[in-house]
Formats: sequence, structure tokens, C-alpha cells
Amino acid sequence: MDPHNLEVINDLLDKDVEIREKIKDQVTEFDKKTRTLAGMLNKIHSTPSDKISSLLVSVRPVLESCRETIAALAELVPPNQFWRWKEMWSISLRNAVFSATLVEYLESGTLLSLPQVSDILGIQEEWKDRFVLTAEDYLHGLITLVNELSPDKNSIFVKDLFAGFAMLNLKNDTLRRRYDSLKYDIKKIEEVVYDVSLRKLAPSSNKSSA
Amino acid sequence: MPMHSTLDTRDSILQVFDSFRDELDDHNDRRERLIKSSRDVTILSKKIIFLLHRIMTEGGSESDDRPLALRAVARAKEKLREIQGLFEGMRGELTGDRFWRYQRNVSPGLQEYIEALSFAHYLEHESLISYDEVQSSLCDTEGKPFFPLPLEDYLLGLSDLTGELMRFAISSISRRGGRSKASQVCVFVRGCKADFEGWTPYFRDLRKKQAVTSQSLQKIEDVAYAIAVRSSEYDLPPEILDDIVARTVSNMASGGNYTGGKVTKRQEFDDGEECD
Repeated sequence: MDPHNLEVINDLLDKDVEIREKIKDQVTEFDKKTRTLAGMLNKIHSTPSDKISSLLVSVRPVLESCRETIAALAELVPPNQFWRWKEMWSISLRNAVFSATLVEYLESGTLLSLPQVSDILGIQEEWKDRFVLTAEDYLHGLITLVNELSPDKNSIFVKDLFAGFAMLNLKNDTLRRRYDSLKYDIKKIEEVVYDVSLRKLAPSSNKSSA
Repeated sequence: MPMHSTLDTRDSILQVFDSFRDELDDHNDRRERLIKSSRDVTILSKKIIFLLHRIMTEGGSESDDRPLALRAVARAKEKLREIQGLFEGMRGELTGDRFWRYQRNVSPGLQEYIEALSFAHYLEHESLISYDEVQSSLCDTEGKPFFPLPLEDYLLGLSDLTGELMRFAISSISRRGGRSKASQVCVFVRGCKADFEGWTPYFRDLRKKQAVTSQSLQKIEDVAYAIAVRSSEYDLPPEILDDIVARTVSNMASGGNYTGGKVTKRQEFDDGEECD
């Protein structure tokens, strides 16, 4: 191979390696933050309803700290290369979507829209070829959300979301698999709820809110 | 604008999912179209590769295969332009950030095209086509690229070229002047393999293809060895030597299980999902 071509190839490769390394560092940060969030939000199941709002207040700053990492990622991605790199952070981003939507749901009982989640995570319109929240990542976050909510206490909300998912023509991808497995989980839980209530084994009042 | 307000009713949720459905359908349709175009490119590219092999073995007794090569290349170039037209047609679906979204769906065809293009280039120039030359073959008349050429597709396409060259060397070895042609190809392929070795940590498919290249090299070296031994044992006139060589090659072809060194192209005929 002639030396000029070798140089061209090695230059391209060096650039990509450098971008990958830098993105990896930011993803590690992002991942730490979303793990912290998940850990905090795990407590909703054991927190009495009157303490939930103070728990959520403590979650907010951690959620907002994701903005910094996301901005750094948007800065690292070369123009038009969003789809080339996005898989590196999609797990973290989906967890952030989950956290944001769970906080909102617990506070107001409503679902955050995709643009609202984008706002909360500080994703800018002008980054659209470098960093966006895609429908797929948003929907993954929602599946995690439904997974986290016990259907007996949130049945209307969960059913509405399910009606939404049922409208999508999902291809044979991870979103489809997660959605399918969720349907079985929910069916199983419904059976448990039915059995327990039939035998009057459930306590009459609910101590936690999720 | 239901998207910008909080979704607090079933209707508002369903409305949002309605727009997701349109978006996902749009994406899946585009992907299908690109996979189909990529397949068309693959089919045409394979035809070009067959064409080149065919014309190069047509010559029979001609000792100088240069005119043959140029004829083959001229024919191939017409067909390569056809493929370039297909890529130009895909351009609209691959603008802006879309290219990297669908890169995996386009890449099987792109690699096959690079294999055909680089084979023709080798026959014409006896050198490896450069990254810039491949990229400029995928540009419009103003020199604007249809899409950026991924380094990985360039390298993997070239890695397939080595398999074609070995096949070419084997089939031309029994012709007059074929032995020196074969050893020339060997030297060239060995050079490519050495160049590629340093990039294998970055591209896993390249590592697999390097192994195939090694096998091809091994096979042609076995043939070259057999020829060298025979020709040193007997002081044979060239035409008898040609006979022996032809026999050795046909033995290799029937018993040696020579396949020309191909890694099955991943994702070529599936729906383009990541399968690794």
C-alpha cells in the first residue's frame, strides 16, 4: 500500500479511536449518575407516601447533573455522526429517561412527553445531528418505567401506556422483546393480585405509593 | 402540540404513540428500501467479478495478458458506472445524519462494490486502490460524495479482493507466463495482509478475513512449491512443465478443496439487525 494511503487510513483511524476513548469516559460518568438515580428511586417501594416527595426532591439534582455529561457528549460527536456513536450511551440515556418519567409520574401522575424529557436532560435542538433523544430510547425508558410500577396500584396509567405500545408496528428488535416480556410479567402479576385478593390476603390499606 | 405538554389523558398518550408509529414505520420502510438497493449492488458487483475472471482466462495462449486486462477493465467500468448510479439513487435516503443510521444496511453492497472496483483497479494498475480513489468513485460530477466512505467498509472490501486475486492467480498459473503472474500476485497479497494486520484490533471482521487470506496464501504457496520442486528435478522443456503445472492445479482444485477464500458476508440477506 502506498505511504500516502497508509497515512490517510491511519489518520482516520486515530481520529475515531480518540473520539471513542473520550466518549467512553463520558459514558462512564453518565452511567455512574444513572446508577445513583436508580438506587435512589429503588427506595420508592419502601418509602411511605408522605415521604415520597422529599425523596423526589433529593433525586432532582442528580437528574439535572446528567445535563453536563450529555452536553459533553454532544460536543464530542462530529457533525452528522449521531447514529454512529449513540449505542455507546443508549443504556445510560434510557435509564435517565426512566428516572425522569418516574419522578414526574410520582409527582403528578402524568407521563412526560419526549420533548419534555429532552428539556429536563438539557438536550438542545441544535444538536440534532449529534445528540438527540430518539423515539426508541424514549420508549425503552417507558418500558423500564412500566416495569417499575406495580400494576395493581397504577393500572389505568399502565393500561394507557400499553394501549400506546400496541399501536406500534415493532420490528423484531430489543424494544419488541422487552414489550412482549413485559406483557407476560404483567399477566403474571395480575394473577397474583387476583389470587391474593380472592383469599383476602392483601392488607386493606397501601403504605407505599408505587 | 400534544408533544410539548404533559400527557395526562389516555387520548393524549395515544396521540403521541400515533406519531411514534409513523416515525418507526417511516424508518423501517427506508431501511427496507436501502437493504434492497444494497442487495442490487451486491448482485451487480458479483457479476463484475465473474466477468473479470472470465475475460482474464479467455486468452488461452496469449503470452502478454496486458491487452486482455485492459479489455476486461473497460467492460467492468461500464458496469461499475451502473452501480455508481445505484449509489447515487440511494443518496437522498442517506443525507445528513441518516447515513450512519443505515450504514450497516448499506455496507454489504458497499463492500462488494469495493471488491469489484479494486479488482478492476488491480488488473489495470497492479496496485491497491486508495481510500481517496474509492471515495471519489462515489461522488457526483461536482465531486461531492454521495455519503462518507466508512474506513471499515473500505478495508473489508479490500480484504475480499485478496481472495479474488488468489483465485485469479490459481486459474492463470497453468498458462504461459502464469507462474510469474502467480508469484507476483502472491507477493502483492502478502503485502496487503501485512498492511492489514495492524488494523485487526479495530475491526473484528477484518481479523476473520485475515485468517481466510492466510489460507488462500497457503494454498497458492503449495502449488508454487510443487512447481518449483518438479522443475528442479527434471530439466524439462517449458511446454511439458506447463502440462505438469496444469495437472497439479487441477488436483488442487478437485482434492484441495479450493474455495477462493470467502467469509460469508454477514447481514447480507437478513433484515439488517445487528447480529453480533
